[in-house]
Amino acid sequence: MSSKAGYKQVKRMTPAMRIIHWVNVVSMIVAVATGLYIAAPYYQTLMAEDAVDKYVMAWNRWGHFIVAIIFDVTSIIVAYLFFFSRFEKPWKKVIPTGKNIKEFGQVVVNLLTLNRTKNFDSTHSDSFNSVYFLIFHLLLFWMLFTGLQMYVHGLGSGISSIGAWWPAMLHLVTDWTLPVSSWFIGSTATGTNIMDVRISHHITMWLIIVWVVFHIYYQVWRTIFWKEGDIAIVVGGSKFVKEDKEA
Amino acid sequence: MSIDKEESVKKLFTAESAKVDTNKGDAYYDELYASCQKRIEELRELEPLNNRMDFMESVEEQGLERRDFLKWASATTAMLMLPASFTPLVAEAAVLMNRVPVIWVELSDCAGNSEALLRSDGPQIDEIVLDIISLEFHETLQAASGHQAEKQMDEAMEHFKGKYLLFVEGAVPLGLNGQYGTIGAKGETFVDHLHRAAKGAAAVVAVGSCATFGGIPAAAPNPTDAVGVMDVIKGKPIINIPACPANPSNMVGVILHFVLTGTIPELDSLLRPKFAFGYRIHDNCERRAHFDAGEYVEEWGDEGAKNNFCLYKVGCKGPMTFNNCSIIRYNEGVNWPIGVGRGCIGCSEPDFWDKYAYERPMANANIKAPTGGVEKTVDEFGLGLLTAAGIGIGIHAAASAIAGKKEDEGEA
Ligand code: SF4
Ligand code: SF4
Repeated sequence: MSSKAGYKQVKRMTPAMRIIHWVNVVSMIVAVATGLYIAAPYYQTLMAEDAVDKYVMAWNRWGHFIVAIIFDVTSIIVAYLFFFSRFEKPWKKVIPTGKNIKEFGQVVVNLLTLNRTKNFDSTHSDSFNSVYFLIFHLLLFWMLFTGLQMYVHGLGSGISSIGAWWPAMLHLVTDWTLPVSSWFIGSTATGTNIMDVRISHHITMWLIIVWVVFHIYYQVWRTIFWKEGDIAIVVGGSKFVKEDKEA
Repeated sequence: MSIDKEESVKKLFTAESAKVDTNKGDAYYDELYASCQKRIEELRELEPLNNRMDFMESVEEQGLERRDFLKWASATTAMLMLPASFTPLVAEAAVLMNRVPVIWVELSDCAGNSEALLRSDGPQIDEIVLDIISLEFHETLQAASGHQAEKQMDEAMEHFKGKYLLFVEGAVPLGLNGQYGTIGAKGETFVDHLHRAAKGAAAVVAVGSCATFGGIPAAAPNPTDAVGVMDVIKGKPIINIPACPANPSNMVGVILHFVLTGTIPELDSLLRPKFAFGYRIHDNCERRAHFDAGEYVEEWGDEGAKNNFCLYKVGCKGPMTFNNCSIIRYNEGVNWPIGVGRGCIGCSEPDFWDKYAYERPMANANIKAPTGGVEKTVDEFGLGLLTAAGIGIGIHAAASAIAGKKEDEGEA
């Protein structure tokens, strides 16, 4: 790819990061479509077939769990890269140092003044972007823990096809979501219940969808206004910055 | 933040699962058998208490045979998750039930649990067992009233100090210093009454959803600040037997376990005996195949309903509810709610009235805000948020476009 005169190509996403991004996109679409069916089956299956042949809910749950597991794995990789990536150090951008807070503010100002002022370096991921992605991954982690909490109750016997350690571990790792969900959702009763976990799982889906809508909008907006080809990052892995800007 | 929330936040990483260990190994059961045998011998030495009814006589009076009794004993042994070799011990314990004193108090409730015991289609063994327990004091059932009743209770508490089981039915209103509920000639508040009765109890058994989790009295907006027993009584063994009403079989199970072993059964994190609440309704439901197939009752009385399809879309909460009604059923195993074509309303879970008992799937439900008043569905909220974000983005995009155009003109 030849650079436009006066522009410099900067690498922003490694192939691994881009693969994870698109795996997550597909997983999320599947998770929302199947999740909505699990919450309230929105199509009917009144066909003249034996129950075993239709298996519609079971397939939806199957799909939901499979993409959940894929999400689990990519999240673990992302969490690892967050701290140990040699490529970028996103965690350095989210700690509230004076420099980061100032940069965060500048990016917000840039967005609100419709790109009239732009007093930050847009070559690399800025503080605002890093925080925004951190929020996404926190939402995602909440989904994973609450989801596995609901899932483990299907293994009430304490055994699973891969051994008793699996449900035991899930209980150990996810039981804390019960009191936390009850605390979020609020309840007037004594004790905690899985319904609160379920409600918060459902609400968080909406938060993630809202997150995605703004995410797509912002990437497109930046591409148009910054004129640095930001949208290409997620495909080719790099964007272009004016030479004189490169510090 | 109410007391239970703080408590549960403290317990964050220590929550116990509902997992039931049904086989603890021969060594464990041999030891248990020996200790149970010893306890039964000790009990046999004791005189029956006030209640002079004889168990086997009562069984015969009701036209039941010894065979029925033995069948019941082996079923109950299985329910308590004990090996079959314990059957004779369980039978023996049932006969000796009148040696264990029980005091039963009623707080904010509808007496539905007492009703459940009394109004079954005919006295079955479970009910006879409950007839025969030495009910030293039961506010609804006793003949005494006023000062006389109070005296009776004081005497029972004094006499059986440290030995009696305290059964509590109904929630505890804490609002207005507990003045929402008073009892007796002296106008003692429910909460004081409970504290007094619990003091000398060997263990406290909360029966029904109100006594365990606050139930309907604690539903939003909870005007009386009602709470469950475990929020009030600390430092005593507490056993919760929720459900609305609690299944008599589970009450008998707990008493039998106590008579037999002198201890309380293994409990889950909500203090429910695992032998009864270690099961999820959904996993033992006869309609489960239809759930997996996506065959649902869409409307009451439709073709699906006639074919016993799954009740999920008319609001069955079996997937989030732990109870053994799908296994032991009600009225001596005759039937149970889902069997008669109604969804489970999660009556044995905390907050069931606000969060389970609507006849729609969760995604279509108007869940009441816990503080009362505002009703908002989760999806409306989500869609609203999405719309707000969309509008915001739209405005920003339009403004950006206009601003961009002006800039271009400026440059030109
Ligand atoms: S009727 Fe209820 S408990 Fe039974 S399979 Fe359907 S959702 Fe589950
Ligand atoms: S089926 Fe559900 S609502 Fe009905 S008694 Fe059992 S737990 Fe309660």
